[in-house]
Amino acid sequence: MTRDQLSKMTKLEVVVPGAAAPGVRALFHTIGATGFTSVSGVSGLGHHGYHQGRLLFNEQATLELLITVVPDDKVEALLAGLRPLLQASSGVMFLSDTFVSRPEYFT
Amino acid sequence: MVTALADHAWLRTEAALAARILAVNWPIDTFIAVNPLGGLEDLPFDEAVTLIGDAFGANGLPAERHLRTAYQEGRITDQDLTNALSRRFPELLNRAPISVAGRQVSAVAVALSDLTHGAPADRPDRTVTLSERTAPAVADAVDGHTAKWCAAFLDAGQAAWAMPGRERGFYLAWRDLAGRDRSLPGRVRTRIRALPDTADAAALAALTALGVPRSAVRTYLTTHLTRLPGWAAHVAWRGEHDGGIDVLTYLSMRLSYESAFLFLTSHRSTRGDPGGRAVTGGVPATTAERAARVAAALGAGRASNSELAAVAEILWTIPVTARARLWLEAFENSYRDRLLTSLPTSPAATRKDPPAAQLVCCIDVRSEGLRRHLEATGDYETLGFAGFFAVAIRFQDLAGGGASSSCPVLIMPRNDIREVPAPGEEARAERQLVGRRALAGAQEAFHTAKDDMSAPFALAEGAGWVAGPVAAAKTLLAGPYGTLRRRVLQLVAPTAPSVLTIDQGFTLDEQVLFARVALTMMGLTRGFAKLIVLCGHGSSTENNPYQAALDCGACGGHRGAPNARTAAAILNRPEVRERLTGSGIDIPTGTWFVAAEHDTALDQITLLDPHLVPAGHRAALDSLAADLATAGGNLAVERCANLPGAPRRPTPRSAAAHVRARATDWAQVFPEWGLAGNAAFIVGPRSLTRDLDLHRRVFLHSYDAEIDTDGTALETILTAPLVVAQWINCQYYFSTVDQEMFGAGSKTIHNVVGGIGVLSGHNGDLQLGLPWQSVGNGRQLIHEPMRLFAVVQAPLDRIDRIVAQNTVLQNLFHNEWVTLAARDRPETPWHRHTPAGWTGWTTTEGTR
Repeated sequence: MTRDQLSKMTKLEVVVPGAAAPGVRALFHTIGATGFTSVSGVSGLGHHGYHQGRLLFNEQATLELLITVVPDDKVEALLAGLRPLLQASSGVMFLSDTFVSRPEYFT
Repeated sequence: MVTALADHAWLRTEAALAARILAVNWPIDTFIAVNPLGGLEDLPFDEAVTLIGDAFGANGLPAERHLRTAYQEGRITDQDLTNALSRRFPELLNRAPISVAGRQVSAVAVALSDLTHGAPADRPDRTVTLSERTAPAVADAVDGHTAKWCAAFLDAGQAAWAMPGRERGFYLAWRDLAGRDRSLPGRVRTRIRALPDTADAAALAALTALGVPRSAVRTYLTTHLTRLPGWAAHVAWRGEHDGGIDVLTYLSMRLSYESAFLFLTSHRSTRGDPGGRAVTGGVPATTAERAARVAAALGAGRASNSELAAVAEILWTIPVTARARLWLEAFENSYRDRLLTSLPTSPAATRKDPPAAQLVCCIDVRSEGLRRHLEATGDYETLGFAGFFAVAIRFQDLAGGGASSSCPVLIMPRNDIREVPAPGEEARAERQLVGRRALAGAQEAFHTAKDDMSAPFALAEGAGWVAGPVAAAKTLLAGPYGTLRRRVLQLVAPTAPSVLTIDQGFTLDEQVLFARVALTMMGLTRGFAKLIVLCGHGSSTENNPYQAALDCGACGGHRGAPNARTAAAILNRPEVRERLTGSGIDIPTGTWFVAAEHDTALDQITLLDPHLVPAGHRAALDSLAADLATAGGNLAVERCANLPGAPRRPTPRSAAAHVRARATDWAQVFPEWGLAGNAAFIVGPRSLTRDLDLHRRVFLHSYDAEIDTDGTALETILTAPLVVAQWINCQYYFSTVDQEMFGAGSKTIHNVVGGIGVLSGHNGDLQLGLPWQSVGNGRQLIHEPMRLFAVVQAPLDRIDRIVAQNTVLQNLFHNEWVTLAARDRPETPWHRHTPAGWTGWTTTEGTR
């Protein structure tokens, strides 16, 4: 399989506090994303310093990474929903081109 | 160009952000104490208080009259108030005295006089919806219809008829039924029938019709969410758990109603922000009025203009809205200074031999009384640990009903534990099950007949002769009735010995991990006694929708026995102990862990699974049981002192009989005081608090900094048990400072609705928070509203590192939801944690 045989899509990766994650998942559903990946308890260094990863008895206080892949025509709606969220609370978002082999899974 | 899909996505996020102001409102059978302002913890406490004033019209600070009462009783002193003033308004200390009534008066004295004599501030005014401002009857109608449809859709099995079309989701079901609702004007019905097929589109259309500009949408959604915050909060919870409804569909309904009603009344806004500010409270006192009161209080009944001007100049620097904040700070520091001063400042003597037994209780403040009374009876050591004992389980009892999540709501349970008959006890277990099914069947048949439309008359004829006397006995002879019922239960369904499926629920690795974590966190890695009791807790009360609020918060609002039994079984396994040895935890073979449960309404401690206890430990267990009974009796005496209607000078025996009777009284609204009074959370060894009477106001978590060299245990304590304690503290705090908005009102008029919550009366909003009878009695406050005070004995740099890595702790400490004091060792001074670093406690607060 070569890159030319793949379909271009947009990948969104967003890191938000665990409490905000349900809202992001609902947003994915609203704009018609067909799936997502979430990783809870992520750690890292950011604008507000180092964030601890997994805590033993608190799954709500850690950060969550959510990843989704959508066709380009849904990116605008995705950003319209995420922009106010990230303006109102901590979090970070990465948007990038990506390529998939089975585009029908994402539309 | 903005697409419709983008508009929908944007609106959904705006709704989610507006909903941050809502409390978390679980179904009442799993009531968990939470901070009703939990979504605002990333804001400083003061800002959050201002915000809820704007949004709810609610008080976030204790009423001045209550704290003035505490002042008159000497529980807040002039020095406490002066310290609070010095901290908030340090410039007062540098001002020259002024002359009033012929004497020199300091600026601080002027401010003190204003605090003690000024007219109390009114409730804040909330930002209102368009209909509230222009057509209040419409706002009430919107609320009425909202409550009606929420009760219908959210019903959890209580209603005889389910809402038609429920399976299609709330919005479509509501649109269909409301479009045919004959209680609505015809033109409103017509407009509802014409609504779009999606809730998002309906909300956008309504916002446009109401003239809400895009920049004001979040505020406007907030005004709608705060009209009926109980229903809105439960909708938000349901949206994240069961689906079918969410905040946006709820808002769509409200906005559509408002738009449709206002269309009839020509109150539509055509431009600008349709919301506004209600003027419900009084006008705040002017500085001149305050000055006149102060001058009079200082003895200048006819103060000159120059005297009044001098007083006013000082008062001008202290906004009237700051007064309640100053009172709160003085109240808190009064308690905190006394607490810190009472803690020992020298290291505890190291004991050579283990005690006769060790009792590990939940951190719940009610455990402090039990621990104190047990230690007074003999050679016992007690420890504090979160009552789920580090085992996050889904538990299914012998009857095999639905499994319950028995762990803090901060985590998801991952281990399934079942209760099964003990080997060889299958026949007895079957008898127990048959008996329980028979009793449950009879009870269900009675209630089904009672609720049926045709059967009540036949039921009254057939069973009235027994139901009437039973009701009279439950009311007039609560104690004997409770005893009789227990005996009947034991006769019909005698308890059979059982065990838990530990090996099916946990791998050996998991068992070893949980055992190590639990023992390390509580600092129990050496000096094991022959008997170690893991004591969970629960509360037995009657006719009490708030039962879960009295059970164990660390067990998700359930009784703690299953967790205690699970943890004890794990810690007794030779394979687990063998693996623990590799971690430096050497539990002697002669040590046996026993599960127990403290019933906080009865002050009874039941030792569980006695059939598992080795013969060599039975004598020690019997001795411990006797001392636990003595401790429980003495605790009942202590509790009777402030239980309404309790005997004032009871013996342990009569006190025990009294609390037993009130726990079975179905008309009793004060079965126990729960966690009322909670004020502090202490993390350290028991030697820090052992000889103190902390009046059941302090969460106690055992911790030994010496064995937690990497700080992992402390981080877990601060990010989990402390967080749960802070939720509890804020639940009690806000239920007390604004019972109308954040409490549940009087129990005497509560009606359970839909099996999900209670209403005050027969309609209106779902009640949030705790009822008045959990925090007060008559007009008197029983709970003293103050924010949580965390006290930690551990190296300060270790605490710094943990706080720096955890946003949740930065929010709590830096935003002043919790005040943290710490010291490295007993002989070092206490320090206050601030965003800028540690400051000596005494240099800020002064010594007493």
